[in-house]
Amino acid sequence: MTPRALVAIVSARMHAERRSIAFACAGAAVVGFIQPHGVATITDPLTADVATRSVWLAGPMFFCSTIGLALAMIQGPGRHAYLDTSESSAPLFGRELARAKALAAVLSATLASLVYWAAQFLSGFAAPPAFFVVALACVIASTLVALNATTRTGLTRLVALAPAAATIVVAYVLAVYADAYSTKRGDAVAIASELIFCAIVGYAALRAYGESLARFDPLG
Amino acid sequence: MHILRMRQAAIVRRGEHVVSPTSIDLAPGERATRDCRDDREAEGLAMMAAALARATAGSVLIGEYDPRVQPVHCKRIAAFVAHDPLPLSRIDAERYIAHRAALFDLDLERARAHARLLLERLRGLHEAFAYPLVGALVANPRLLVLDRPQPASLPDILEAAAGCAILVTQTQDRA
Repeated sequence: MTPRALVAIVSARMHAERRSIAFACAGAAVVGFIQPHGVATITDPLTADVATRSVWLAGPMFFCSTIGLALAMIQGPGRHAYLDTSESSAPLFGRELARAKALAAVLSATLASLVYWAAQFLSGFAAPPAFFVVALACVIASTLVALNATTRTGLTRLVALAPAAATIVVAYVLAVYADAYSTKRGDAVAIASELIFCAIVGYAALRAYGESLARFDPLG
Repeated sequence: MHILRMRQAAIVRRGEHVVSPTSIDLAPGERATRDCRDDREAEGLAMMAAALARATAGSVLIGEYDPRVQPVHCKRIAAFVAHDPLPLSRIDAERYIAHRAALFDLDLERARAHARLLLERLRGLHEAFAYPLVGALVANPRLLVLDRPQPASLPDILEAAAGCAILVTQTQDRA
C-alpha cells in the first residue's frame, strides 16, 4: 500500500465523518469542563494517591474511550457505501485496508481526547501529561478492539463490543491500582503496565481487524 | 485466453443460493449480459465477477488469478461499478477522482485528464451515475463489471468502455 493510498483513505473517511468528529469533540469539550475533579479529604497519602488517580483517570479513560468506540463503529460498512465499494474494489490487502481505516478512527478519537484534555486544562484541572498518555493509550486500544465489531451484524456485533469494554476496564484498573501503595517507583509501574497492556491488545486487535476485513463478506 | 472464467460459481449463505450456479466465459473485448432473478443475485454475481465477494462453490478465474487466493491481482484487472449512484451531496466529484487515483496509485493529472475525456463520452449520463463509472475506468481495467446499470445509459457506457471486456448484470424485470 502506498502512503498516498493510506492518506486518501484516512482523509476520505475523516472528511465523510467530519460532523460526527465535530460532535465528538464538542461532547469531549463539555464533559472535560464539567467533569468532577474533587477528591474527598484523605489523610493517608497513599490512599489519597490512589483516590486522586482514580478520579483523574476515570473521566478521560471511560468517556474518551466510549467516544473512540462510537467513532470506530461508524467506520462500519453501509454508512458510506460509496467509500466501502471504492476501497474494497481497490487492489489492497485486508490488512492494508484495516490499517488505513483504523488510523482514521484512531486519529478521530485522539482528536476528541485532545479536546477533552484541553478543556480540562482551561478549567484549571488538567491531568498531568503522563496521565493523559495513559488515557490516550486506553482510548486507542479500545478503539482498535471495537473496530472488529464493525464487520459483524446484530447480536454478534454487541458481543464483539464486549472485549472493547473489557479493555477499558482492565486498562483503568492497571493504571489506578497496579502500583497502589508502592512508594518506591511512584506511578511508573502503573503507567508501564497499562501502556504495555494497551500496546499488546491494540496490536492484536489490529491484526484481527485485518483478518476480518480480508474475510469480510459484503453480501452478509 | 479468457479474462473472466466462471464454472458453476455460486454463493450460498445459510443454505440459500444468493447466486445460483453460473458459468461465464468472457474473452478480452467481449460483452455479456446476465439476467438474475432479483437484485441481490445481480449484485452478488457482479461482486463475484469483480473479486469483491467469494464464490462458495464452483470456480472463478479473473485473468489467470483466483479471487479467493489472489484478490489484489484480480482487482487490478477487474473494475466494479455499483448500482447505486454516487452521493454527490456527500462527496465532491473531483475529490472522488483524486481518491480513486490515489487508491490505484495513478498520476493525478493524468487521471483527471482521463476522467475529463471519459465524462465527455458519458455526457448523456447524470453525473451521479457517470462518476462511479469514470472512477472505475480511470484505472484502465481489462474487465468492467456493471451491476444493474440504467438501461437507457448502457449504449453510452459501452462506448466509453470500448476495449474492456464487459459483464452486465440485470434483473428480469429491468431486462
